[in-house]
Amino acid sequence: MKSEYINPFVKATINVFSTMVNCDLERGPLQTRDSSAPLHEVSGIIGLTGRAAGTVVVSLSREVAIQTTGVMLGERPVSIDADVTDAVGEIANMIAGAAKRQLEELEMSVSLPSVICGKNHSLSFPTTATTIVIPFDSDWGPLSIEVGLIATPDSTEKSEQAAAAGSG
Amino acid sequence: MPKVLVADDSGTMRKIIIRSLNAVGIQDVVEAVDGQEAFTKFQSEIFDLVLTDWNMPNKNGLDLVKDIRNEKSTVPVVMITTEGEKSRVLEAIQAGVSDYLLKPFTSDTLREKLDKFGIA
Repeated sequence: MKSEYINPFVKATINVFSTMVNCDLERGPLQTRDSSAPLHEVSGIIGLTGRAAGTVVVSLSREVAIQTTGVMLGERPVSIDADVTDAVGEIANMIAGAAKRQLEELEMSVSLPSVICGKNHSLSFPTTATTIVIPFDSDWGPLSIEVGLIATPDSTEKSEQAAAAGSG
Repeated sequence: MPKVLVADDSGTMRKIIIRSLNAVGIQDVVEAVDGQEAFTKFQSEIFDLVLTDWNMPNKNGLDLVKDIRNEKSTVPVVMITTEGEKSRVLEAIQAGVSDYLLKPFTSDTLREKLDKFGIA
């Protein structure tokens, strides 16, 4: 995955948490994902298609998911319920949307969000995409963003054609 | 008292928007979970403002705006969405959107839109 795809997701995540739930995030070091690694307890999943395609997973620890939902709704849920899954889906949607605005040249569309809950759940990414994990810490606990995004063959050809035209 | 139609498939977003509306004294709010439900309600009631998401199942916000304008309605419609690329904004304006509010947003920025249309 191209390194320039990462920063928009970092900025988007920090901005969404700051704007929507007044929560400051501290970014940890980037990691590549071992496919067997478990995610946090609640994961919002967004598909991206266009001149690059892939998946974004916003994975929140239980307390982060509950606190985030509580601030958004003005009422703290007592457990991981339908309100939490809806709120996490919307957070994932906003992060993917804000990131794709910064990657406008990729002309991507986002899918409607899906949310998976439960301890030790895992997700498969397309094998052609190296998945980058961006861990964050907050006063409420840990969360992470996982991005697996690759340029589609058509866009790669266009980039090469543009480069060839530019060099001539 | 102004009446506002709020269309978003996320119950969380509808609650956030309605809380902002309530904070400026707007209590008469009708909710819809997608564009289809919103258009059905739009046809049966008179609204002073429509706030709609773009990406929704069944009927998206863009098609909702087109349907509203096909009814020859001039009601202000504000698109509240993550879709912020220039091409998407242009598409929305061409469909008849009155204004645009990007997610994530604060209650202050939503209030500015309400002020603009004399709703707050």
